[in-house]
Amino acid sequence: MTVTPQQAETAPSPGAEGETVRGLRLRGVSHVYRGGVRDVVSLDPLDLDVVAGEFLVIVGPSGCGKSTLLEILAGLIRPTSGDVFIDDRRVVGPSRDRAVVFQQSTSLYPWLTVRRNVELGLRVRNLPRSERRSRADAELARVGLSEFADQWPHELSGGMQQRCQIARALAVDPPILLLDEPFGALDALTRENLQHSLREIWRETRRTVVMVTHSVEEAVLLGTRVLVMSHRPGRVVDDLRFGFVTLNSTVAEIRSRPDFVETCRTLRSQLLGL
Amino acid sequence: MSKSVATDGLDLPWARRLAGHSDPSRRFRGVGPIVAIALVGGIWSLVAYLQIWSEIILPTPDRVWSALVESVTSEGGRRGLSGHYLWEHVGASLWRIIRGVFWAAAFGAPLGLGLGLFRTFQAVAEPIVGFLRSLPPLGYFSLLIIWFGIDDTSKVWLLFIAAFPPIAIGVAAGVASIQPERVKAALTLGATRRDLVRHTILPSTLPDLLTGLRVAIGFAWTTIVAAETSNGIPGIGGLAWATKKELRSDVAILCVIVIGVVAVLMDLVIRLIERRLLPWRRRS
Ligand SMILES: Nc1ncnc2c1ncn2[C@@H]1O[C@H](COP(=O)(O)OP(=O)(O)O)[C@@H](O)[C@H]1O
Ligand SMILES: [Mg+2]
Repeated sequence: MTVTPQQAETAPSPGAEGETVRGLRLRGVSHVYRGGVRDVVSLDPLDLDVVAGEFLVIVGPSGCGKSTLLEILAGLIRPTSGDVFIDDRRVVGPSRDRAVVFQQSTSLYPWLTVRRNVELGLRVRNLPRSERRSRADAELARVGLSEFADQWPHELSGGMQQRCQIARALAVDPPILLLDEPFGALDALTRENLQHSLREIWRETRRTVVMVTHSVEEAVLLGTRVLVMSHRPGRVVDDLRFGFVTLNSTVAEIRSRPDFVETCRTLRSQLLGL
Repeated sequence: MSKSVATDGLDLPWARRLAGHSDPSRRFRGVGPIVAIALVGGIWSLVAYLQIWSEIILPTPDRVWSALVESVTSEGGRRGLSGHYLWEHVGASLWRIIRGVFWAAAFGAPLGLGLGLFRTFQAVAEPIVGFLRSLPPLGYFSLLIIWFGIDDTSKVWLLFIAAFPPIAIGVAAGVASIQPERVKAALTLGATRRDLVRHTILPSTLPDLLTGLRVAIGFAWTTIVAAETSNGIPGIGGLAWATKKELRSDVAILCVIVIGVVAVLMDLVIRLIERRLLPWRRRS
């Protein structure tokens, strides 16, 4: 489905309840970090269309501008040139139609219990307490944290903290979910666990997901589409489509499929050759 | 035969502790202050009863005890010490502290938020706050007396000026050290400017406010005791100062002990409030 720009330059997307989003469009988006000793060009001009329901994974060498791109999508960074559109609306800032999961669990609020952290996006919307609680509890159940609802974030393991972040993002029911290396700081087993959970969440909700990772395996396992970025300044050098995430087999089964292994190998050598 | 080789590095408790081992000597922490008091009291008693120096230079513990009794009783025309009971002296000093620190917090906390949030404001206001902080309070006390008279008003002003810089600077540092991810998370969850202040910035800086408050109260206490040297009766500092005229070293020592105990108690109260307000900081 293609989206035509009709009413560009309107107000930030309100993110109305139950809103469905058709897609994300980037037109000539570039970015330069200014103000340092010298300007750092972090993104070369980029055109991109993300279709609703896509699980888009961005891989690329460290420092190539993945986080910058994701924060531009989130509205946390303004592009130096170009525009981001959600359907017909130009993105001018952050909004809860694009919730973000960060790599650092320092984004959790240490003075709030796990449940109250998940309620954060609902509190700023002034939802009544009972509704906040039931929605938070539903998301906590989804990520398997129900038992830990009344703990402090620092009492959770790294993997559980990331689950809490995911629950907090999902609680506002964002049509688009953005994740910046969400499992980058976790050990291998925990990481596989969370990959499985995220896969289940996507298969259940078919939300539009944009995830940054530096793990080739993660990209191939979860993405319906994988963008490969070059060294800084980031450019998209390849745009691949995969279907492993939609297969009806377990993550373990997929990992041992020869075509999965082969795909990862190819992609890895492509990244190493950059 | 091979001889095993090891350094003596881990033989001492401090080496084991610094290497991250759990420290069994923590058990003795609780009795530490008791041992310290017993030790100081013992040496004092010993030296005093040996009468190496005269009673006036070093009174015995029971002389100081009598001074304590004297301070809470009246007899004939005498009422406590210097006309007031001990609790009136302490109460007067504390009341000055409470008023001074209250205004310091009421002014210092918003000032700290302003310093932390607005760069242009910070550029102008921070040098002023920093200058005030670097001054010894008694340096400007005369000026305050000239402006506000010799009564309590000038003392409360003194405490206010002494106490608000640590609060403002603490809060400002707290704002500056808020993790960016906290702010980003709030924004992408739909927080408005108001939400950001209420749900992110204020709770993030609460620990720094309380730390600033504790520093401020400690500083204010040392200041008020000194400030009460002029027209400070009732007041524990005024009482301590007055003893020099009658060579009442027993009262002087009593005052030192009371001033110290009150300082410890105030710190304890703030720590209890911290525990109440920052329950997530409690670690087992
Ligand atoms: N605040 C900043 N100021 C200047 N340069 C920055 C800043 N943040 C990131 N960069 C630079 O921009 C480039 C892209 O950064 P980033 O988007 O974080 O990369 P990635 O997430 O792919 O590792 C990097 O080379 C980085 O050094
Ligand atoms: Mg990054």
